[in-house]
Amino acid sequence: MAQPTMDRIDARAKVTGAAKYASDHNLPAMVYGHMVTSTIGNGRIVSMDLSAARAAGGVIEIYTPGNRPAFRGTLPPPLAPVFAEARHPLADSEIHYYGQIVAMVVAETIEQARDAAALIKVTYTALPPKSSFEDAKQNPADPPVTGLPLGQPIKKPQDVDIETALAASQVRVEETYDIPPRHHNMMEPHAAVAAWQNGKLTIYSGTQGPAAHALELATVLGVQPADVHVISPYVGGAFGGKAFTWAPALLAAAAALALARPVKVVTSREQLFTVTGHRAASSQTFGLGTHRDGRLNAIKHHTTSQSIVEDPGYRTTPKYYLAPNVDIRLMVTPDMNLPTATIMRAPGDEAGSFALESAMDELAVRLGMDPIELRMKNYLESTLIEAKPYSSKHLDACYRVGAERFGWSRRSTQPAAVTDGDWQVGLGMSTAILDSGRASTTVRVTFRPNGTATVGCATSDAGTGMWTIMAMTGARALEVPVDRIRPALGDSGLPVAGNNDIYGAVGSAATSTVTPAILVAAKEAIGKLVEHATTAAGSPLVGAGDVRYDGGRLVGAGTSVGFGELLTLTRTAEVGAQGTSAPLDESHAYASYAAHFCEVRVNRWTGDPRLGRFTTVVDAGAILNAKTARNQITGGVLFGLAAAMFEEGKVEGATGRISNANLADYLLPVNADTTEIDVHFLDHPDTRLSPTGARGIGELGTVGAAAAFANAVYNATGKRIRTLPITPDKLLA
Amino acid sequence: MRPYTFAAARSVGEALEQARDGSAYLAGGTTLVDLMKLEVISPAHVVDITAVPLRGIRAGAKGLSIGAMERMADVAGHDLVAGPYPMLAEALRQSASPQIRNMATIGGNLLQRTRCGYFRDPATPCNKRSPGSGCSAVDGHNRSHAVLGTSDACVATHPSDLAVALIALDARLSLRGAGGERSLRLADFYRLPGSTPHQENELRPGELITGVAVPALPWARRSTYVKVRDRQSYDFALCSAAVAVNVRGGVIGEARVAAGGVGTRPWRLPAVEQALKGKPMRLETFQAAVEHAADGSRLLSRNAFKPALLRRTIVRALVHLAG
Ligand SMILES: Cc1cc2nc3c(=O)[nH]c(=O)nc-3n(C[C@H](O)[C@H](O)[C@H](O)COP(=O)(O)OP(=O)(O)OC[C@H]3O[C@@H](n4cnc5c(N)ncnc54)[C@H](O)[C@@H]3O)c2cc1C
Repeated sequence: MAQPTMDRIDARAKVTGAAKYASDHNLPAMVYGHMVTSTIGNGRIVSMDLSAARAAGGVIEIYTPGNRPAFRGTLPPPLAPVFAEARHPLADSEIHYYGQIVAMVVAETIEQARDAAALIKVTYTALPPKSSFEDAKQNPADPPVTGLPLGQPIKKPQDVDIETALAASQVRVEETYDIPPRHHNMMEPHAAVAAWQNGKLTIYSGTQGPAAHALELATVLGVQPADVHVISPYVGGAFGGKAFTWAPALLAAAAALALARPVKVVTSREQLFTVTGHRAASSQTFGLGTHRDGRLNAIKHHTTSQSIVEDPGYRTTPKYYLAPNVDIRLMVTPDMNLPTATIMRAPGDEAGSFALESAMDELAVRLGMDPIELRMKNYLESTLIEAKPYSSKHLDACYRVGAERFGWSRRSTQPAAVTDGDWQVGLGMSTAILDSGRASTTVRVTFRPNGTATVGCATSDAGTGMWTIMAMTGARALEVPVDRIRPALGDSGLPVAGNNDIYGAVGSAATSTVTPAILVAAKEAIGKLVEHATTAAGSPLVGAGDVRYDGGRLVGAGTSVGFGELLTLTRTAEVGAQGTSAPLDESHAYASYAAHFCEVRVNRWTGDPRLGRFTTVVDAGAILNAKTARNQITGGVLFGLAAAMFEEGKVEGATGRISNANLADYLLPVNADTTEIDVHFLDHPDTRLSPTGARGIGELGTVGAAAAFANAVYNATGKRIRTLPITPDKLLA
Repeated sequence: MRPYTFAAARSVGEALEQARDGSAYLAGGTTLVDLMKLEVISPAHVVDITAVPLRGIRAGAKGLSIGAMERMADVAGHDLVAGPYPMLAEALRQSASPQIRNMATIGGNLLQRTRCGYFRDPATPCNKRSPGSGCSAVDGHNRSHAVLGTSDACVATHPSDLAVALIALDARLSLRGAGGERSLRLADFYRLPGSTPHQENELRPGELITGVAVPALPWARRSTYVKVRDRQSYDFALCSAAVAVNVRGGVIGEARVAAGGVGTRPWRLPAVEQALKGKPMRLETFQAAVEHAADGSRLLSRNAFKPALLRRTIVRALVHLAG
């Protein structure tokens, strides 16, 4: 089946600058807040000298722990305190981490606010911070019990003694894999423009879930959720960093209330590293034991991380390979003087897949077996622990097709055997598996007299292509050209069912969640339209017996009328309905799959690694828009490769300061660092998951990409790098 | 950024007239404005020299001359540069990004400040920014820092790629100040940090760089600039080498070797040049010649890889020239 493909309908608005992001909004009488952050990692504020700042031009107010804006409410709803900062900004004078907000200056212009902020002098009593993960991981603690599965041990069988099982295995590897902290660094920083009117808040603030954002803001501010209106049609990248509510939006809302003027707060790039969330460092020990023929006997996956939010064991290991003995555990390093850990694209999956897929490569080397053959020997048809069957799994085909496209058979089994001039060349592969699911959500479909139909849902498009998918799915469901569909998203006033779907675009599940609900809502709306056609005064079909909807027209009684014309004739502004998708069929497990193949070139003199080629073959159910889907996969792959090659939040253990909290020193790949990424989609619609058959894509490319790179580095050089990123100095030794 | 006054000069005379205590010249602004925004430097008066006609790329019998206000991109792409001095063009092309090279000037490039993260963050002690406050890098994140020419007061590298190639070519600077004109070897222009790391060079207050002169060196046609960095697309050097060789009959007559990313100033390596002289142009020669290239290195907690990287970067450049 040919995959549908369509350009983004929001592309023109974005490249011409017509698309307004949160901070592009300017309201009458608006003022500007600029945050000031701490320069110690632990301790307390003794005093703040605000005199110079107060005297500076244009300053309206300076919020500090001694002069806090009112957060009259409580903690936000259940997930937020686990995944975002539980403490309200400026709550007290205690400093918990370097870069914590200690003040916000509000002034008439952004320049005045920034200028005054630089004049504030803070005196601290500093204590030695607990900021070194290297030190803290030596003494980890059991994870807290939160009611979430994250952090809970997984064992098979329940009384497994994993060390004995490993010792009894004929071939073993056991290694530790370390990943440094990482920061989302989405292009658009967290920003908010907040305005109150009659006790109601309107806030322009980039978010993945407008409804959840509204609920979290309302709870903290102590108002009704219905009194908070979040507007977020365009989001300049989120990657999990905008799944929950962070201080800049809270401060903008609270200051706007106190000052009775609209307030804009834009986080600086440096501040983004500390006042919003990040991916915590992790250290994972993987033990794999097999029979001589490659069948796994034991898997031990023990992780230590700052918090439970990204649990690589829970997220990764139960869905990859079959083994009779399994022991998965997470330990944490609580109370660290570090910024708050949150989720980031492929949370747990990225770290877990790097460790597992590196360990599998090491095992293949030890067994003298082809890495794909080893994976096929341990292929899972149902989940490892509950033995739930997978709904639709074609990972074997991903391996086969990928190996063919990439030329895997040309790989030297001997490492450090292939050179091209001054470059050592290596090939590596890995598996990517990403749980798929969907929430039941609500969509509204509305027909209008101008011949267009609106398809609305309180979801989000953070650059993913959601605008376009909603238009395409609406067009398919209503059988009209796509340019007659007006999608609506990014607004907390739009429909939502009120379960987990309030979190909007998370877990790579936005398309699989929203598109089936569009089909349901379209059907409901068509029913309403037919009823309208047969009853409304002015309709040529009043009283007709067998009116049906066909391609945007109402047909019956030997005549037909387009819906736009119909509503014009009946002088009706709109006819529509909401529809809610059915809950997920829990009898099966759902996941998306990919096989990644990577070529790396390493300079034989100076050790600098370069990306050569990359092929990935993807089994993600039905592909609803090949163009945006491909874009998600290439972006995801590069996101994962960035962890392999560059990214590292460098925390100074002695101070808690992040020494590279800017885009000059925190290295991200740009186009010149990448290569043409060859993406091939298998097309097996997962109709048990939903009628549209689409599974998750957004995070899939990221999963396993770093391992494919590291495995290729090993193949090129014979050097196994288990600590990311893989920089030239590590390959020099 | 702190408030400042601003004037635009149209000639060297106007520029010198505008210069005063605490003033700064604005060329491409890619260093100056950046550091002003970070409040690392806060000049009271900024003199825009972008209209001052310090232009021209000319070649004569004595060599090449480049006006201080020529843009990095224009110099990199110029026939009089790329043909006779490949290492110059390559050093420029591997500097910064295309956008920055379109803005940044040669004079500004040679006066850019270190990329040491502590220098760039006023919240931390730094002897270069704030004399006597201490050096945070010695016990801090110093992976990118220097191993040659360091002192207890400062271990910051000089970041310019162009300067490394110019030092290898024995370039001279032309300067104009209130006291008139003078010319200085670039190698004598940069100072070692010692106990006064804030004094980076011999530029006098208010003095202008007017141009750079590169002596004729016909055999520099066989030269290259190799830059090793964490991110290939654009990044400062972990280590770089500017190398030229004069080979006749398979034997090295003369060589020029300078390195970046390892020294507190662009680092010429005369001992390596000497060791190459008179030897056959082949790998064994290269490996023997670089053996002592990093002698005298003072290693920090996170940059112990630099001596080995330096030796290998030079070998890589030589292998490239041999190939
Ligand atoms: C992201 C980034 C990456 C970079 N990467 C590299 C790199 O890889 N390699 C590299 O070499 N450089 C790199 N640079 C530095 C860049 O090359 C310099 O910023 C640039 O060359 C400075 O030139 P400018 O004309 O913009 O100088 P300005 O910013 O205008 O001036 C710099 C300094 O020189 C003074 N000045 C300028 N012209 C004169 C003159 N004629 N006489 C006297 N004083 C003068 C100014 O007062 C100021 O103090 C990078 C810069 C950035 C921002």
